[in-house]
Amino acid sequence: MTSDQLRRIEAVTDAGLAHLEVEELYIELLDRVRELLSVDTAAVLLLGPSKRYVEAVAARGLEEEVRQGVRIPLGRGFAGRIAAQKQPVVIEHVSHSDVLNPILRDKGIRSLLGVPLLCGGELVGVLHVGTLTPRRFADADVQLLQLVADRVALAAQATSSKAERTAANVLQRSLLPSDLPIVPGLEFAARYVPGGNGRVGGDWYDVIHLPSGWLCIVVGDVVGCGLPAAVTMGRLRSTVYAYVLESHDPADLLTRLDRQLQYFQPDVMATALCAMVEPSHDRMLISSAGHPPPIAAMADRSTAFVTLRNDLPLGVDGSRGRSTSTVAFPPGAAVGFYTDGLVERRGISLDVGLDRLRRAMFAGPPDSVCARVMLQLIGGETVRDDVALLVLRRSDGPSHEPLDITEPAVPSSLRTIRNATRQWLTGVGAEPDEIGDVLVAVGEACTNVIEHAYGPRGGSVSVHLTVETPHVVATVCDTGRWRPAHGRNRGRGVLLMKGLADEVRIERKDTGTEVLIRKALAGEGWR
Amino acid sequence: MTDASVDIDSTHDTVRIAVSGEIDLANAATVEHRLLGAVTNQMKAVSVDLSDLSYIDSAGLRVLFALGTRLEMLQIAFELVVPPGSLTRRAIELSGMASIAIVRPAPA
Repeated sequence: MTSDQLRRIEAVTDAGLAHLEVEELYIELLDRVRELLSVDTAAVLLLGPSKRYVEAVAARGLEEEVRQGVRIPLGRGFAGRIAAQKQPVVIEHVSHSDVLNPILRDKGIRSLLGVPLLCGGELVGVLHVGTLTPRRFADADVQLLQLVADRVALAAQATSSKAERTAANVLQRSLLPSDLPIVPGLEFAARYVPGGNGRVGGDWYDVIHLPSGWLCIVVGDVVGCGLPAAVTMGRLRSTVYAYVLESHDPADLLTRLDRQLQYFQPDVMATALCAMVEPSHDRMLISSAGHPPPIAAMADRSTAFVTLRNDLPLGVDGSRGRSTSTVAFPPGAAVGFYTDGLVERRGISLDVGLDRLRRAMFAGPPDSVCARVMLQLIGGETVRDDVALLVLRRSDGPSHEPLDITEPAVPSSLRTIRNATRQWLTGVGAEPDEIGDVLVAVGEACTNVIEHAYGPRGGSVSVHLTVETPHVVATVCDTGRWRPAHGRNRGRGVLLMKGLADEVRIERKDTGTEVLIRKALAGEGWR
Repeated sequence: MTDASVDIDSTHDTVRIAVSGEIDLANAATVEHRLLGAVTNQMKAVSVDLSDLSYIDSAGLRVLFALGTRLEMLQIAFELVVPPGSLTRRAIELSGMASIAIVRPAPA
């Protein structure tokens, strides 16, 4: 090997290039190639996701290729031939029939040399150089270009898998709920840890508070990892949102998810578990599609896995029925939902992981439960599979946290407001009669807002509920101006409010109307 | 949307109507339509059972008042069944419904 050859090789394998971002690296390599081979143009084209064309990503002397996003189908034209044959191609005298790309022709390129970009024998793209004067490329030129091509191929491969990982990560993170809903009487906490080397999979969880007062919890695990699993997970999650308003039966929801998966993504399998918590919070309905059972802890410190019939995973056989089990959820109880990454370890029986989980679980504040479970089951280990954990706890005893609800001032909001108010009043320990009175008084104030506060443009109604022992105080606000009631049998609302509450104050301000309703509670469990 | 179901059981001259669920502004007109449709001119007595109704406010009371005044004009007896523990008892009592209907704890 001559010293000149050595110098030429070092020029492109220089370790100093390693710190460059990939686009800069391509440009630097193309510039060195232009200089070493005394050529006028150099370009890198990478294989597109469909693997049916190569696309220009970097060029020198031919910058238009990149700006115009040139795509060359495999097998056609100069670059297409290199890609299809995975062999160098030399064209000494460029003619129209050899070259598909009009930019090469317009530039007046006379001779071309191109080599495939290969990584482990797989085609990644094409690297080619050209001259504006006729040129006969020697074998040494081909070998040198192939050396550069190997370097480019490695960089391209590394970036594409890094980009895919980043995309999957971003997708996964953006799809997991950033905030869990605030539901009086319930507390939540969750953890998500990607698998080894930050590789996300298709694990997901969701907590959805429905206008009917029901709470839907979903945990799932799409088989596979990386971007495809994250994409499927996103689709399943959207499907849950599409159907969750239609039915409170978890088996029904999973059946719909299954049907969607079978039709649109027949190669995919996923496990999932859906739990629906009743508005009273006393019970939950659960259905499992091949998913590990939730772990429950009671206020008396006992822990046990929830006994469920485990139906087939999603995407296996849509014709089999699914079942729903009803499970008691007493005050002070906590339930942990998780994916198998939490309990599965290579070379260790699943029973060991499940037993560890049962011993780590307790009926405490969900954040502490999550912390303890993650510590005991994961510790300092790097998990292979991703792990999702969601802990739900039913508060023990009354909660005096205030509640704020804002809804559009339309009749259909009345039920939403009523359900939230009922739940909050149950949570603070009001008796059924007291709940009934406050519900009607608040309902009347809201009805007045809906009927009288706004013109056709509409507006919103806000309800604020708070405890001022021994009273509950409800404030109903709008930003409109009440008009007198029309029609017969009207105006009964205010009388009813005054009859049901201990104090009703209606304040008309420039900014809107505020109705304050105060009601003393006497029930047990209060104070 | 607020849901109420209206079950109608009629003979040639009486009708028993059981209303369950909830009534507010959102469904009051629907409930009114169903109640008025259940009463024919041949009837002598109408009984509306609210035992399984879990919510009623003035929008719902307005429906009962509208029904009551129609029946009064037609001289058809009007009875409301509101058991002691029922969730709507307080609102019915406070509304003064007793002036227009016979309010009973159980069907006559």
